Amino acid sequence: MAEDYDDDELILAELDDEELVAQMHDDLYDGLKDEIVEGVNILLERGWGADKVLTEALVEGMRIVGVDFRDGILFVPEVLLAANAMKGGMAILRPLLAETGAKPIGKMVIGTVKGDIHDIGKNLVTMMMEGAGFEVIDLGINNSVDDYLNALEEHKPDILGMSALLTTTMPYMKVVIDALVEKGIREDYIVLVGGAPLNEEFGKAVGADAYCRDAASASSTGVAMVQQRQAA
Amino acid sequence: MSERQARRGGGRDSKRAARQVSQTKQAAFIERRIPYFELLDEASLALIEDNADTLLEEIGIDFRDDPEALSLLKAGGADIQGERVRFPRGLCRSIIQATAPKEFIQHARNPERSTVIGGRRMVLAPAYGSPFVRDLDKGRRYASIEDFRNFVKLAYMSPGLHHSGGTVCEPVDLPVNKRHFDMIYSHLKYSDKPFMGSVTHHSRAQDTVDMAKIVFGEAFATNNCVTTSLINANSPMTYDDTMLGALKVYARNMQATVISPFILSGAMSPVTVVGTATQILAEALAGMAFAQLVRPGAPVVFGTFSSAVSMQSGAPTFGGPEPSLVMYTVAALARRLGVPFRSGGGLCASKLADAQAAYEAANTLQTAALAGVNFMLHTAGWLEGGLVMGYEKFMMDVDQANMLSVLLGGVDMSENGQALEAFREVGPGKHFLGAAHTQRNFETAFYRSTLADNNSFEQWTEEGGQDMAQRANTQWKRVLADYELPPMDPAIDEALLEFIAKRKADFPDKDY
Repeated sequence: MAEDYDDDELILAELDDEELVAQMHDDLYDGLKDEIVEGVNILLERGWGADKVLTEALVEGMRIVGVDFRDGILFVPEVLLAANAMKGGMAILRPLLAETGAKPIGKMVIGTVKGDIHDIGKNLVTMMMEGAGFEVIDLGINNSVDDYLNALEEHKPDILGMSALLTTTMPYMKVVIDALVEKGIREDYIVLVGGAPLNEEFGKAVGADAYCRDAASASSTGVAMVQQRQAA
Repeated sequence: MSERQARRGGGRDSKRAARQVSQTKQAAFIERRIPYFELLDEASLALIEDNADTLLEEIGIDFRDDPEALSLLKAGGADIQGERVRFPRGLCRSIIQATAPKEFIQHARNPERSTVIGGRRMVLAPAYGSPFVRDLDKGRRYASIEDFRNFVKLAYMSPGLHHSGGTVCEPVDLPVNKRHFDMIYSHLKYSDKPFMGSVTHHSRAQDTVDMAKIVFGEAFATNNCVTTSLINANSPMTYDDTMLGALKVYARNMQATVISPFILSGAMSPVTVVGTATQILAEALAGMAFAQLVRPGAPVVFGTFSSAVSMQSGAPTFGGPEPSLVMYTVAALARRLGVPFRSGGGLCASKLADAQAAYEAANTLQTAALAGVNFMLHTAGWLEGGLVMGYEKFMMDVDQANMLSVLLGGVDMSENGQALEAFREVGPGKHFLGAAHTQRNFETAFYRSTLADNNSFEQWTEEGGQDMAQRANTQWKRVLADYELPPMDPAIDEALLEFIAKRKADFPDKDY
């Protein structure tokens, strides 16, 4: 395969900060997890704060990935690799961020609703949210009201995400949201819903904060809403 | 004085009436008179079968949340580890070939509409499962029971469609746990073509069987196939308890099931044609063998829904060449197994009844006809990857479907077909339009599209300069206006309504 770089020659530790960050953007783009882990460690050793590494190296790199995914330059399997590389970097940064008390980018609980075992879309959202730096607690498939309530109680996320592929299961989202309202905790969470048979009107009707048409919009909507909430 | 002589008949009125309707005659199915398009040779097909056996033996299929299914499969010779079911090589094939019918009759309440699924026949049914509908007047919206009835009526009025279908759209305005009553009733009441039952819960499958018994009679419906229902595998390599529950009800009642792997290649199967065909064969073998273990002899159809996902966005794509290659391959595999084959449809990803919709749909419809599909779900109405049932698209697809019966009818090699007499009569340098041979044959010689406009630019302009979607809009409204209810014994209608009222009162409305 002809590539316009030769990674055998490159020693990350020999790059200055600016070059290293630019290289990390490229490495995220190319989905090189080991190189991202190495880059994160080098920046930390050079005295960078975890939040600065996160913002300037990783989040900015994934922003570029997001733009090129939207524009049809990057394909889904490549974005999966990029998100996986991001996840590798986050694994190092997350405990450090917690120690410094820096605000994490966000946390999400996600799962398909009761009766629905179709989870490919949900898994793509998980991947994109992790790519955006979120911590995602994936409840898997077929979740009852109690499954969601217990997870919210335990993990205290910013976002609850629910997905469905079937017209016969999508109304269950309203059952979950009604339970949140009844318990007086609806306003504690941003509720995002998604899945092929939904639309904006349905999202409003069940009382969600937003309907997300695909994984990319789930991630951009989630990030924007959490930032808005943190700023408020 | 003698009475005034009656008119001879004929003349303008009768001809106007005859020429303004579709020339397609309502038939119970299309009889195929052309060969199958065979893509692969014997060795390639045998290799795929061998690989499918490897998949079944080594990796296996999950049968989830249904302990009864696991014990049936165990008794049938499968190896069970947790919910993973592995099949010794050749087991599924031998179970299916021992008892599954090669073809079967699905009876309709009008015996003239009873159809045969399998062999050299093709049965066309409308699209299935859309939560939304779309038309030019009101745009895209959630489907209602009124839309459902409309599509049942349109399918009934379309001579090129042989089957009323099932979930022609999802009536989202009705409660989830009761909408099946109104859906099945609509098929039984507003059409007399064969229909598909509910599969979203085993009790709803049982309600379907019970309602069919009211219409067909207990004894008849116990021993004959009166409904065919769609059981999807949850690809990759998974069957869930909802589908298995419905499958068991239908098989136990000797009713037909279409066992359909649902593949968006790249996401739910490998990206290659052979990999996808291998997985489809393995999943279908496991599901059909299971149906035979539930009730030996219950009719099964080898289903295949296969499309691809865009590697750029993850969105499903339709009408591309690779799914056509898969369909040709799997059709041949189904023939080798000796069961009826379901695939095809007017599939497309377009939002509108536009050029994309038309050519993507045409690609799949033509492939299905050449491949040898026996039962074609999604023939008419499909838009937006199946999310939307389109009124205008429905009429466009019906026009396409009508053409398939001509194509599959093959070439007339009779003396009349050879037309030597026409050459003798006309000779060089003249034209054939007035020849006796032409006079005898012109009316049915060429398929007349119900929607295409072939007129001059000037005439087309004078008539409003309409595109196909606009013409289709006028057409579906006219068909609905012309609709007449097929007759039904009032006692049967009453019994159906009584059954529904009683069952609806049995439990509260629920939206899950």
